[in-house]
Amino acid sequence: MTQGGSSSHTVTTSEEQHTHTKHTYTVCTETLAQKESEFMVKKRVPDWLNSSMWSSSPAPIISPPSKSRSRSPPPPSSSHDDRLDAFPSKSSSVTSSDSSPVIEPPVPIPPPTLIRPEPPNNPGQTPRTEVRDPFTGTGGSDDGITSSVEDVSRQAKLLQALSRKIIDMGELRQLASQGVPDGAGIRSTAWKLLLAYLPSDKGIWSSELAKKRSQYKQFKEELLMNPSEITRKLEDSTSLQNGEQTGAGKGLLSRSEIPHGEHPLSLGKTSVWNRFFQDTEIIEQIDRDVKRTHPDMNFFSGDSASAKANQDALKNILIVYAKLNPGIRYVQGMNEILAPLFYVFKNDPDEDYVVNAEADTFFCFVDLLSGFQDNFVQQLDNSVVGIRSTISKMSLLLKEHDEELWRHLEITTKVNPQFYAFRWITLLLTQEFNFTDSLHIWDTLLSDPEGPQETLLRVCCAMLILVRRRLLAGDFTANLKLLQSYPSTNIGHLLYVANKLRSHSTH
Amino acid sequence: MVLVLAIGDLHVPHRAPDLPAKFKSMLVPGKIQHIICTGNLCIKEVHDYLKSLCPSLHITRGEYDEDSRYPETKTLTIGQFKLGLCHGHQVVPWGDLDSLAMLQRQLDVDILVSGHTHQFKAYKHEAGVVINPGSATGAYSSITYDVNPSFVLMDIDGLRVVVYVYELIDGEVKVDKIDFKKTSTATI
Repeated sequence: MTQGGSSSHTVTTSEEQHTHTKHTYTVCTETLAQKESEFMVKKRVPDWLNSSMWSSSPAPIISPPSKSRSRSPPPPSSSHDDRLDAFPSKSSSVTSSDSSPVIEPPVPIPPPTLIRPEPPNNPGQTPRTEVRDPFTGTGGSDDGITSSVEDVSRQAKLLQALSRKIIDMGELRQLASQGVPDGAGIRSTAWKLLLAYLPSDKGIWSSELAKKRSQYKQFKEELLMNPSEITRKLEDSTSLQNGEQTGAGKGLLSRSEIPHGEHPLSLGKTSVWNRFFQDTEIIEQIDRDVKRTHPDMNFFSGDSASAKANQDALKNILIVYAKLNPGIRYVQGMNEILAPLFYVFKNDPDEDYVVNAEADTFFCFVDLLSGFQDNFVQQLDNSVVGIRSTISKMSLLLKEHDEELWRHLEITTKVNPQFYAFRWITLLLTQEFNFTDSLHIWDTLLSDPEGPQETLLRVCCAMLILVRRRLLAGDFTANLKLLQSYPSTNIGHLLYVANKLRSHSTH
Repeated sequence: MVLVLAIGDLHVPHRAPDLPAKFKSMLVPGKIQHIICTGNLCIKEVHDYLKSLCPSLHITRGEYDEDSRYPETKTLTIGQFKLGLCHGHQVVPWGDLDSLAMLQRQLDVDILVSGHTHQFKAYKHEAGVVINPGSATGAYSSITYDVNPSFVLMDIDGLRVVVYVYELIDGEVKVDKIDFKKTSTATI
């Protein structure tokens, strides 16, 4: 057996491959059948703290030929046991319940490969495929191994959960917290439900969506107009146009009064023009930040028309948000929180959702940010709800679970958590991992019943614990360097550890 | 939405020390996209001040300007409009609408901005519109002593121009506006 830091992917050879596949998803042990437990890696990882023992098997897995949704609860346990068996071919007993446009027809399983399988029947996937490369590249081998059986069953269960008329949020949360598969627009719908944008009653989805989308459109019209148009609208509604001189005619042009004292050089606080010029500064900053978001992804940056359109959408959302929230306006970093939301919603296979991705993202962004708003307000930094207090909460959590590490970090090497945790917490870990991994982490963050803030703290703590070996051996510089550029790690394992840190669980 | 400042006949330092304070407080950098100046600044310091408000500065030569390199007339296109610029002392009789209309046809512009009379005027005729922004400092002119400081700010938005007239009357800034539209690519 090999041991190593959590950053390395170790492979054990001693046990059957069979069990290894389960390990990365041990976080779902509580929800999957209890038969799991006999394969549970717990036996093989006696001290989960110290051992980063988990492994991925290189053995190919034969995946079941088809998967389909069905009303009857699929026996997940059996499917896991019968790794080599197909699912009982519940051949396309496609449920007919959906009134919502989002549920996809079942996704046939692609042939087993080590590359993450692409659902082939998703038409509008081209924007996605180019970003798939990070999918296949980085966590590729693990995902490939585990993708088949586990994924398939999870996907089936999620689709089934989403296909009900009244969605059981508890079930959805449980399923989503294990990670949402990338296909079939599941993540897009799941996030919308988890962020309370879509209500759980599927029947009223279309009316709710229409309402919210038109509201966003109205916001845009009101807030994104430039002052010329605003003053024109004011005049058109109030008085006759007496300044218009069409046709021939000589003579002096008549002067008219300006409405409400509005002129471009006005310095009045309520002046439309003045506010416009004050906003230009914020708009410029938003513009700069949007251009710098994820420069390595074609979706966000580059010269293509779609990238520009995406950037414009991001800008609009941030500008509308800044104008609607004068207390907080725009702070650098909001663009990073916005980016994954927009990406997921824009890559929904359903055309209707793609077209309205901007509006949907806006409301979900508002909801997500509402919990974390206090992190962005500078005045609240030192208060009970501010970022400092959140960081110290994380520190306490670490102390509770791993006092030795805490002592070493804070006292011996004096690595102030603010140096690394600030970015982790305010940006919701988007900058610490690659894009696909952070989507996976967000699945857990958004779906955990404890709420995103608490879960985030646990995940941060887990991140520290996973590299404890290196931290304990390092000094201030080495530790800081390590934590500020956190090594890539197996996300499943990370979330498993984070799960263990729950206050009610014993370790 | 392009903001164009039309200003001129400051006659600094000979006839006036500086712009009125109230005007100066309103003219801040960052708001205006173009400045067109009829002339008679007269010195380089005024040129630098205007340049600091907006880098896009267009000036024509007035008879008292110390910098002789300014052109006699200038034309520029902003949005859908062609603007012409001339100080106006060359057009005799000074301030006469028909003569200015001739100049406008010569330059082939929609809006002609000229000064020299130190009186704000906005005329319309078949070939286009003539705007005189007056004197920004209220300096006396060759014709009269009774001059109110004034300047003009044009908001060009597509085919529509809103002309805001800023005048200092009895120590207070008074703003009026004039609206006009260009019906097509032809004359107004």
